[in-house]
Amino acid sequence: MSTRLTKALEFANYRTTINNQQAQLKAKTQNLLSYSINGGTFTIDVPLITFCKQLVDEGQDQVVLLDIYNNPIKVDVVKFYEEIHSRYFEVTNDYYVEYEKLRKARKVHKVLDLNEKGK
Amino acid sequence: MKKESNSRGVLMFAHNNTEIDYFRLAVVNALLVQKNLGIKNITVVTDPFSLAQGEKTLGKRLIKKAINNIIVIEKDKKFKALNQRLYKDTSHTAKYLPFYNVNRCDAYELSPYDETLLIDVDYLILSDTLNHCWGHNNELMMNWKFQDIMYERKDPSLARLNDMGITMYWATVVYFRKTEYVENFFNIVSHVKNNPQFYKDLYQWQGTLYRNDYSFSIAAHMMSGFVDKGIPQLPTTLYKSFDTDDIHSAVDKNTIVMYLEKPRSPGDFMLTKWQGIDLHIMNKWAINRVSEELLEYAR
Repeated sequence: MSTRLTKALEFANYRTTINNQQAQLKAKTQNLLSYSINGGTFTIDVPLITFCKQLVDEGQDQVVLLDIYNNPIKVDVVKFYEEIHSRYFEVTNDYYVEYEKLRKARKVHKVLDLNEKGK
Repeated sequence: MKKESNSRGVLMFAHNNTEIDYFRLAVVNALLVQKNLGIKNITVVTDPFSLAQGEKTLGKRLIKKAINNIIVIEKDKKFKALNQRLYKDTSHTAKYLPFYNVNRCDAYELSPYDETLLIDVDYLILSDTLNHCWGHNNELMMNWKFQDIMYERKDPSLARLNDMGITMYWATVVYFRKTEYVENFFNIVSHVKNNPQFYKDLYQWQGTLYRNDYSFSIAAHMMSGFVDKGIPQLPTTLYKSFDTDDIHSAVDKNTIVMYLEKPRSPGDFMLTKWQGIDLHIMNKWAINRVSEELLEYAR
């Protein structure tokens, strides 16, 4: 096989690996952005944070929110907002660090944090 | 069996066959559960032969450290001989071996806990995600949605019992509370198991193998008032690798590097690092090969 073709195939392998690794990272982030309280589960996202901030600014205390199952869950919105707000930035900051690491990796063993011998 | 009040715990079933040491996998996973979920209440249902094999290879001390409640039952030898399935250790090796899964429908009766996470021994707990289940409003949860960790690979045949049939739920991870509704659910699962020909004709599942996924899916359909996808899903996606994949190495207590078979190139692999997400690993030999490393990290 010519060197050019070998290099092209190596790059194709690298692309497949990095695509899969990015999907894994996204899945891990999604998992970490899940928050359970009072028998319900919420996905922490920008609309939920914004809505809760609005409720806090209005001076609301106990509110009913619909969780991912559309079940009504009563929460103390001030505590709830603080929790989801801090979790969101904890998780997305980690995501950013990992994502940048992946973006800069140009070899399969670097994408996977392995040494060149694969150990 | 002693019942703890308002208790939470994990339940697994482990019955070895001639090649696969399911009990060893249960010990590995029990230690991972302790490390990553922080749960000490772990029950494993096994048989005298599998337990003896475990005691011989792992030692009683390690087993005691991993599992605080072992239930020993006798195997149904007739079922064991009849229920054979094809096990693969990648595409290169395939073998028909007994698949002993007959007593999973007894999970409700066997569980000593008020809230139970019933998991397969090969569903490795690499995160604390399943802690979201405790105290949930939903008394029964399991997944129909799953994601192959080789994202390019698609197998639509795994979505339903047959092409025109009901949605397939995965019995790999089930959360349940002890309630009348859940008791009825497990009664139906038992009824399907005891009358497989009737339900096979009715629901038209493929092949002759009895799978818990089928009986749990049928029970889910019936207990939802014959509505599809009526039982709520777990608050996490079910991630799966397949028996054509292999494990490269276990890096720590929540990271595994996998060889994933490329979709259009059987026998050819790519690597992926799987970190901080629970994973169903179908290649049992592969887990056994890295079990020493996993035992070391999770100990």
